[in-house]
Amino acid sequence: MTRSQSPPLLSHIRGARNYQEQLAALRSLKDEIVGHDQYKEEWVGYGVIKVIVRILQTTRSATRPSSKESRGQAGQSRALSEDEVLRLQALQLLASFASGGPAFLSPLHGCGVIPVILSNISPLENPPQVILTALRALSNIADAASLAAPGSNDSTILADTLFAPRYLDSLYAILTSDSTATVVQEQKGLVARLISRLCKEAHHQNTLANGGILDALATILASFVVQRGEVVPEAAVVGQSDGLAEIIPSPAPRRANLALVLEAISVIIADSRFRACMLLCSPAIMAVFPSVELSPLGKEMKSASTALEMSGLSILGSKRTGAMDHLLPIVPTSQPKSLASHFAQFPPLGYSLSREQLFSNGKPSISRAFWDPARQESASSDGDADTDDPESPLIPWLIHLVRSTADAERAMAASVVASLFKAGFANPEREAALGMLVIPLLCQLLKEHDKEREASATDSPFVEPDTALGWAVLERTPTVIARLVADSEYLQQSAFDCGVVKLVCKLLKDSYEPLSARSAPRPWSPNPDSGGEQSEGVSSCRTGPPGVLPIYTHKIKMRESALKLMAAMITFKEEYRKAMVEQDIVPYIVESLYRSPRKPRSSKEKPKEGPGAEGNDADHVDHDSPYGTNPSTVIIAACHVIRILGRSVSNLRTRLEDHGVAMPVFRLLKHPDAEVQIAACGAVCNLILEYSPMREPLIKEGIVKVLCEHAHSLSPRLRLNSMWALKHVVIGAGNDLKKQCLDELEPGWLVQLICDDTEDDALHARMKLERQAPDADEDDEDMEIEPRETEAPEDLSGRTWLWPPMYRISSSSTGNWLPSVRRESPRMQRAEKKLIALRGAELNPTRKARVDDLAIQEQGLCFIGNLIVPPASAVGSSVSQEIQDMTEMVDYVFLNLGQDRLFEILASKLRVKVLHPFARRRYPSSAGDDSSSSSSRVLYPQTKVVEAVVRILSHLAASIPRHRQLVIAQTELLRLLGGHFNSKDMEVRRLLCHLMANLVCVDDSSDAQGRVQRAQELKKMGFLSKLETLEQMDAELDVRERAKDAAWQMKAGYS
Amino acid sequence: MSSLSAGLDLGASDLDQITFRELIFAHFREKYGTMTSSTSTATPLKHAFEARVAEIKSPKSDINALILDYLTMEGYPKAAAKFSKEANLQPQQEDPSIRARQEIQNNIHTGNIEAAISALNELDPEILDKDPQLHFSLLRLQLVELIRQSNGGDISDVLSFATRKLAPRAAMNSDFLQDLEKTMALLIFPHDSLQPELAALLRSDLRRQTATKVNEAVLLRQTERREAAIRHLVKMRAWAESTARSKKKDLPDRIELGLNGEDNDDHDENELMITT
Repeated sequence: MTRSQSPPLLSHIRGARNYQEQLAALRSLKDEIVGHDQYKEEWVGYGVIKVIVRILQTTRSATRPSSKESRGQAGQSRALSEDEVLRLQALQLLASFASGGPAFLSPLHGCGVIPVILSNISPLENPPQVILTALRALSNIADAASLAAPGSNDSTILADTLFAPRYLDSLYAILTSDSTATVVQEQKGLVARLISRLCKEAHHQNTLANGGILDALATILASFVVQRGEVVPEAAVVGQSDGLAEIIPSPAPRRANLALVLEAISVIIADSRFRACMLLCSPAIMAVFPSVELSPLGKEMKSASTALEMSGLSILGSKRTGAMDHLLPIVPTSQPKSLASHFAQFPPLGYSLSREQLFSNGKPSISRAFWDPARQESASSDGDADTDDPESPLIPWLIHLVRSTADAERAMAASVVASLFKAGFANPEREAALGMLVIPLLCQLLKEHDKEREASATDSPFVEPDTALGWAVLERTPTVIARLVADSEYLQQSAFDCGVVKLVCKLLKDSYEPLSARSAPRPWSPNPDSGGEQSEGVSSCRTGPPGVLPIYTHKIKMRESALKLMAAMITFKEEYRKAMVEQDIVPYIVESLYRSPRKPRSSKEKPKEGPGAEGNDADHVDHDSPYGTNPSTVIIAACHVIRILGRSVSNLRTRLEDHGVAMPVFRLLKHPDAEVQIAACGAVCNLILEYSPMREPLIKEGIVKVLCEHAHSLSPRLRLNSMWALKHVVIGAGNDLKKQCLDELEPGWLVQLICDDTEDDALHARMKLERQAPDADEDDEDMEIEPRETEAPEDLSGRTWLWPPMYRISSSSTGNWLPSVRRESPRMQRAEKKLIALRGAELNPTRKARVDDLAIQEQGLCFIGNLIVPPASAVGSSVSQEIQDMTEMVDYVFLNLGQDRLFEILASKLRVKVLHPFARRRYPSSAGDDSSSSSSRVLYPQTKVVEAVVRILSHLAASIPRHRQLVIAQTELLRLLGGHFNSKDMEVRRLLCHLMANLVCVDDSSDAQGRVQRAQELKKMGFLSKLETLEQMDAELDVRERAKDAAWQMKAGYS
Repeated sequence: MSSLSAGLDLGASDLDQITFRELIFAHFREKYGTMTSSTSTATPLKHAFEARVAEIKSPKSDINALILDYLTMEGYPKAAAKFSKEANLQPQQEDPSIRARQEIQNNIHTGNIEAAISALNELDPEILDKDPQLHFSLLRLQLVELIRQSNGGDISDVLSFATRKLAPRAAMNSDFLQDLEKTMALLIFPHDSLQPELAALLRSDLRRQTATKVNEAVLLRQTERREAAIRHLVKMRAWAESTARSKKKDLPDRIELGLNGEDNDDHDENELMITT
């Protein structure tokens, strides 16, 4: 069977004389290939895909004028035209080829199949059967792409093509079709599945939200609410008045799939307050879930709640209860805790929302924002619009859904709840409900499926639907739990009590069970030589590499998700870290740092450190590791775990050291993927601390040089993390190392880092350029997200991102509602205002640049502060030696940065600053955004930066009298400091007292004269009275004590 | 009664059976109501369970829906269409898809497997693409049919079919391999003196089993259910009864299903006699 003689069937298909012949030929080809991957391969070799594509193209050109009635009767089977039948057959063939697996991707792509398939998904032009088959073909291609060998980007290509505006209209039309026919329901399910498989990047998430897809999905979700009979009782009445009642959808038909809809929604709204808010404000959701204050509790509920109140466990009684609360049991409410404070001392693991989500080139992964303290700040600062708004009943309803469903539906409902909760749209009391009602169920879900899986280890390319379901649950549930618990000590506690630590360690270990085979074995063939002659021919006629087995992808996904949960569980409590480490999990985490992991080894077989280990890793990039290949996402997740484990000193000294964490992390600093570099920098922060045994080897390997290089990086996040690490390097270091750090970093660059608003300036320059371009675009918020919108703010078409059913003018919208009525509804107006504000906050590049700049400045200043502090641990050395070291360092810093320049920079940090004062003011700002959207802004000194400045000054004041004198001489600086004595931040006040005490302290009898002078100087500037005020009035005991001490010293000084 | 039941093997007449039962229950209810007031020595005392059963009223619309479901799922397009018209119900599935299923069933029952596979691919090519197990059973049945046709004559067609379509799969799966080997044994031994194990392959049971498997697979694709709801109910009833008995719940010695003639004993007949 050689390739040259093509079989007669091919010529039949090619040269069919009429419709009947061609149809018959296509049918027999279908019978030939369906279910036989070998024959599929053979036929690809004959170049049949090209022929099929041509059939699709020619039958399309003869398409009927798009008629309205074809849409009207969507779902009902109308006799297909001849062309349509041929197209259907051709699409079925493509779908069948695609289900052959990743090997067929290259010939399919080679023939440009995707656009051809996509031209068949518009419901306006195609009968439902054809659309369904086209979607199936796409879905098969997406499935195949997910199994493609690591490193391929097939999924991304598909996503980029599919989520283009022209196809979004079709997807929107499919999702909003009101036909209840089975075919249409299946179409909807496939669209939802495609979205949840392919939508991974922020710009796709935004496109889908803006293109109305999120709204369409929300409407389907609302139809499930109707189907379950769980619409808020007064919804219709409330809706009557403002026209929303008309939008209450009809109940979801029987074949509709809730889990898929929930998953698609959760994928789109993940990590964004703005998109989460879009879900809540979707008209259909608002219509079925009006926030009505409800009727008193039922008798039993009431007694339960009184009982809890009596025992002091609940504050619920005073809260209003909505209708949905009747579906949930009452739970004791925990004490409200302030959580954000825990974070302050730790470097952020992820990146703040505002920093992350803005730039589409930033490659965010779904999992970041929930590790981040900064997002909580942002939540409180831009949450002005929603503090007075009641919580949407969608949230309790979803919790109810978690309780009343199973498996995938349960996991996905929890995932949507997690997004809404993280975005801050839930009442604070919901935390208790999540801890008691949701997390135990999720843990149980994990347990159940973990058990089942043991029976069904499979190395076949076909996965039973039940097994696939179990896998999906195991892959996603840990991530959902991770998102819920990451910022909440209470939820971590609740997950810990459910035994999640043991479970997650088991999952990670299971994911390192060696696989017997990576790809499916080639089937036996009666013609053994047919496989060999693949060399000739173009890519359209040749199958590609076979890809991997489904179980392989499953293991990698499970690994990533388990690592994420581990990192999320241990952010606060040492106890949990200890429990986790005791599961002997560290070797598995360490292997996750390698692209090609080996067998995880226990600490006894300690790996060899140094260059030997490196060579070991280099020859270790074979693609057939039985433990799989770790993609960047796994490596990043592992870095996060290492970073948090490193917060515990005992871990640093024992387990992490024993398992040789240092070298793999060090190598990752030079990883080609910038995201990995950032995560590795974060992990290094803790590994190089003074008391870490890994510090010396890392410094010997030249980590200082690498970190300094990264500090020059273009990526603000990499600059931040590397400055953070450098700051830790110089703690307790000798002068030589300190000097080396400063030299490598280049003093000029350091000045620039702490002085300039680098990111802000860059942004400003970019915006200026843009404005100079003709047709200046006023709406800079959209520059990264959408093509320019040049409309005036009041123009409706400028808001196409808002609720497409309302504003969309496109023909695909069903448009039988009365937009005017709804737009006037106060509920809708309120929602719209909120959305606009959130959009401004989230998509505003200025805010992101500002946050980046501040964080880096703070780290830079701390770095300087640490440079001039003498190593505290110098036990043997004398005090004079210490002072000598310190003096040397201070002088070195002055020499390199410039004494006056340094003091001037420090002073500037304490001043109110006006950015770009001469820029053209661009009011009225679009869409009612706050002042930050204009380019000329007033910046107030930031607490964290002020803290760093005061700390540097008090270190200087602790040095020799000459330096003290220098500080006193900075009258302008001191005057500015005076303004900060009533700072809201306790730490700033405490440090100021410390600084004063240092300035007047007695340590050298020869300096008595200077001391008196200084004390008088300070008194003259009014510092004594300020200290006395603090001593009497301050709320914090610590500050009062220090103020007392400082004031005493000062008085002692001049009296 | 038993003769009546025996005649009622087709779905369409299940209707009579069930409405008939409805009548009986209604009758009981009436009677029970009057009995409590009057002396009840004439009739044997009802078991508490049966009294509870009698209290349950199943709405007619539910029963009708159940019947329509049965007709649709088991593949009786015409009866389903008629019944849905009479009972004023929305048809569950479009007629063509029921008919396609029926056609596939018929083809398998008559041994025309190639046509069945072709029809299945026409209906939904993904079924065979994603279920190698089912595909293999169909191909094996086709092999059996080919062997049957060759009947000791020219077996080259059989061999090439087995080599081309079955062997590559069998090499990867030990279950498949065993099935294939067994089937190939039919070529070696004379068909009239086979071991029972092999002889079973040539009986119509294999066709019927395969047909049921195919029907279930298609149904699962189309409706996400495998079988008619009534079958499920019957199974659930059996499970419930055995569970209850194993837990030693207070039950009558025998609970009638009331559907099958074989179940009926004298006692039942007596009751029925009363009602008529």
